[in-house]
Amino acid sequence: MNQNLFIVAYAVPLLFGLILMTRAGDSMAETLSKRNPLMVHARRRHMLGLNLVGLVGFVVSVHTLWISNKISEGGNVCSSATVFSCDDVLGNAAYNTDPVFGLSWGLIGMVAFGSLLFITQAVGKEPDALWAEKYLKYGMYMTGAGLGVIALLVSYEIEMGKICQFCTMAHISNVIALFGFWRATQLHDKGEWKDNATEKKAEGA
Amino acid sequence: MRIRMQSDEEADVRTDAGIKILAMFFVAIMVLAFTTNPIATGTKVGERAPTLEGKAYNGGGWTEFDMDSYFDSNWTKGDVNNGSWMLIDFMDTDCPFCVRSAEDVATYSDYFMKIRKDGNGNPEWQGPTVTFVASATQLDIPGHESSRDEIIAFRDKSGTEECDGSSCATRPGSAHNFIYIDDLDQDNMKRWKVAGTPSYYLIQPDGIVAWSSAESNGETFYEAIGRLTLAEA
Repeated sequence: MNQNLFIVAYAVPLLFGLILMTRAGDSMAETLSKRNPLMVHARRRHMLGLNLVGLVGFVVSVHTLWISNKISEGGNVCSSATVFSCDDVLGNAAYNTDPVFGLSWGLIGMVAFGSLLFITQAVGKEPDALWAEKYLKYGMYMTGAGLGVIALLVSYEIEMGKICQFCTMAHISNVIALFGFWRATQLHDKGEWKDNATEKKAEGA
Repeated sequence: MRIRMQSDEEADVRTDAGIKILAMFFVAIMVLAFTTNPIATGTKVGERAPTLEGKAYNGGGWTEFDMDSYFDSNWTKGDVNNGSWMLIDFMDTDCPFCVRSAEDVATYSDYFMKIRKDGNGNPEWQGPTVTFVASATQLDIPGHESSRDEIIAFRDKSGTEECDGSSCATRPGSAHNFIYIDDLDQDNMKRWKVAGTPSYYLIQPDGIVAWSSAESNGETFYEAIGRLTLAEA
């Protein structure tokens, strides 16, 4: 199966999640609220977007771990003579595990995005809890620290002269999630977090 | 009790979210466990051999060595007609043990690579072909300074270079007929965690380490080739 189809399958929900978290998502409020009336609220759209991004990051991480395992069996999954060859990146034993514990980067991605999903799920269900804002900040710090890991992995790719498309998709998910957590804290600070804030804003207009 | 439960409602949300995420994680691990059978990369028996990289000298010139091209991932144990085994010799042209073992290496490489023929022109060795590859390094010991010219001299028994204090052209054994990889920067040696030279690794046609001198308990590389390749056949 053409692995690029998977890339498209991951890119679509990722892009949709990003749109939901930006001002462009506000213009979709009316359309979305016809399907689910609760989507009229900015925070609910934002958390849906953040959940989607976290989920894509988690699934892509599982996929990269699966590819790593398949390569270790001796198989070819996405080998290519071009610069885009995830086999060459994920199959390189010198770089496909973290330098401290020797854990596969895919497994680390699963744990990281699983933790982010826990935050988005918990905060989405209880947005007004005392811990909610603190958890959003944890998410922001985690994805912020992820930038350092991304820089390390990109440096590996530059050294190898190859790019792993699936890894790049996970990196993009992390960057979008960082934006999502940052914007969530902004919604908090600007008083747009609560459901009735949207209604008040609409009334004011 | 009832009051306590009401005040702990928030904790319930996190537990619910935690269970969902753990369930998702568990499902992912189950999918990976049922659909893949990962093999660790390493130099112990049963592990997938790390790559060997560098420029290789084959008697004619230096070209890029592509280790993967030697392996067949579809090879299965007992398949004698397809795939060739590989014996990797980590050596240093100035190491006395490597110079001394050069004779055995020359004799057995010609034999297992089916270069040596009987009176009828048939290979003396009837088992699967074993491709010999040497990774020539430069140990961090005074007097072990090496070069590509010295590697060529050691392999071909030619030139004026010195190997372990004597002319490489007069080292024991005949000239070698297999590839020598330039590992003067020790990259391969470090990747393979080779403790000393000479070190030998026998690799199956599917790229899995079948035997290593470090775990051999005194068995020589040629005894191991005979035992393992014929046993698998």
